[in-house]
Amino acid sequence: MSTIIEAIDLKKTYMLGKIPVEALRGVNLKVDTGDFISILGPSGSGKSTMLNLLGALDKPTSGTLLIDGVDISKLGDNQLSELRLKIGFVFQFFNLIPRLTAKANVELAMSIANMNRTEHNKRTLELLETVGLKDRINHKPAELSGGQQQRVAIARALANNPKFLLLDEPTGNVDSKTAKEVMTLIHTLNKENGVSIIMVTHDQKLANEARRTVQMFDGEIQSDTVN
Amino acid sequence: MKTPDIFGYSFSAIKLRKLRAGLTMLGVIIGIAAIVALLSITQGLQASITDQLNQGLSANSLIIMPGGDTSGQEGLSINVGSGADSSGFNLYLSDTAEIENLSPDIDSALAIIQRSGYVASGNINRRVTIYGVDFATYAQVYSTFSAVTGTIPTNPQENTIILGSRIADPGRNGTQIITIGDNMNVLWLNATTRPPMNETYAAQVSGVLGTVGGFGIGGPSDTGVYIPLSTAESFFGTDTCDMIIVTLTNSDKATVDSVTNLIQEHFAGQVAVISPDALQSVLESIFSTIQLFLGGIAAISLLVAGVGIMNIMIVSLIERTREIGILKALGMKNRTVLAIFLGESVIIGLMGALIGIIGGWVLANVTATVLASGIFGGGNFALTPVLTPTVFLGALGFGVGVSVIFALYPAWRASKLKPVDALRYA
Repeated sequence: MSTIIEAIDLKKTYMLGKIPVEALRGVNLKVDTGDFISILGPSGSGKSTMLNLLGALDKPTSGTLLIDGVDISKLGDNQLSELRLKIGFVFQFFNLIPRLTAKANVELAMSIANMNRTEHNKRTLELLETVGLKDRINHKPAELSGGQQQRVAIARALANNPKFLLLDEPTGNVDSKTAKEVMTLIHTLNKENGVSIIMVTHDQKLANEARRTVQMFDGEIQSDTVN
Repeated sequence: MKTPDIFGYSFSAIKLRKLRAGLTMLGVIIGIAAIVALLSITQGLQASITDQLNQGLSANSLIIMPGGDTSGQEGLSINVGSGADSSGFNLYLSDTAEIENLSPDIDSALAIIQRSGYVASGNINRRVTIYGVDFATYAQVYSTFSAVTGTIPTNPQENTIILGSRIADPGRNGTQIITIGDNMNVLWLNATTRPPMNETYAAQVSGVLGTVGGFGIGGPSDTGVYIPLSTAESFFGTDTCDMIIVTLTNSDKATVDSVTNLIQEHFAGQVAVISPDALQSVLESIFSTIQLFLGGIAAISLLVAGVGIMNIMIVSLIERTREIGILKALGMKNRTVLAIFLGESVIIGLMGALIGIIGGWVLANVTATVLASGIFGGGNFALTPVLTPTVFLGALGFGVGVSVIFALYPAWRASKLKPVDALRYA
């Protein structure tokens, strides 16, 4: 099993006006391929900062963060963009493009990755079928329920065969029944398709569904336990 | 991201806000329409004037007028009506004979006396330009000096008069209010006497010219009347003339240049010798300046449209901050975000310019039709707007260029947004 993410003494400091705020204070973490981990913590624990760094949306102030063997602190904007093609994001508020249909939203991710156009259609249909939305492909986000939108977001995240999925409170904006369905889908992707999953949440119950839970507090990892 | 995908994405953003895009585009449409209309009218006008000039004066002619040598590109000073320039230099009727002897390349020299005056017949009293010319030679130089009604006698009587078309038909409706054989009084105010005196004589209409049009130097005019040179000489009490038209045996540049030099030498540089070529290049220079001026004014309106585009793009950038964050999170590069925003401006500029060109062309044609109808006077003003490929491509390029230039800053700002900040934008 190879290592997909490795954080060594990772620190991130923000400036709040003139006051420096240490969001991460020397985090060490290792994630292997095929793993399913949850990062749990209350508000202000540094889990969102951790998510931004793991998603190559931001760079650390110090320390080393290797994603797929690449130290992101040494990358420029373009290289970070290329690295993000290997990461599948699923956001709490879905973040779909409202004017595009479910199909077009998934295809957009493929266009950005310069995937061959002839493959778009076939793969989009496969993905939307995987997430159970084959009959809603031409619906725009506003015409879909929260759960359906989150499924489209998962399909989009999977579009470019990412190295891992990065989920930010994936059930935070859907009802409990839909939340269960979404989690079932995530489990399936992890177990059957071998997709590595990192899920950020403040919900202990949801965190326990992962194989491993990393508990954060005040910018540090408090515990790292196998469930 | 491939170029068609970039444009497809840009187009979807424009389609979402059609009214906003339409209003933004309207600025480009108005600017480009103004440029195209003004330039195609000006170019049409230039073509029309050049055409009439070519009709009115053949390439193997030279015009001599009192005044320093201004026949070059620098400009022309045309003094007609006095027979003298400000330095007091005069061209004399007898100069024609001397000019004819200057070179074997000179075929003939024709003197023209020109004064403002009036013609009166019955209730009709019209202000006219009175030309004293030798009918036979004048008809040889200017093909337009031919009668549609009556005749132009080669050896006219002293009281013979030929009328321009609008003198006989002021309504321009084919109804001639003067018939051949009618008597009419020719009148001018002689300012050389103290006090100035009205001089008059009775002339008999022998012929009416066809419609000539508006332009031509020395050539027949629709509002002119033509009397024999000897009559003009005695009526105006002068032995000077206002211009001399020299006809050459050929129109070679070498001949034109050598005769021009001979004439200049003969008159010690106190005359202007104008060749049709020189006149044409001066006209071209004048029209280039006019086009630049009018085009410049119209271009300002396009710049205003550009500011509008920038404004809208900045608003759009703010509204779509989160969208930009999503695109970047999906792996879109900065330059692709830049291309998407510039793509929107290219689409707006291209569509606006195309609609503007069509609109401007229609406007130019409507204007030409209105001018030709004579609503604003100056009838027989045939003007065909000209839309050259240069103007077409220039307008297209300018429309797109202005849109893109003004979209650069908002697009650059969009491309530089940090994904983590953009995604946080509510």
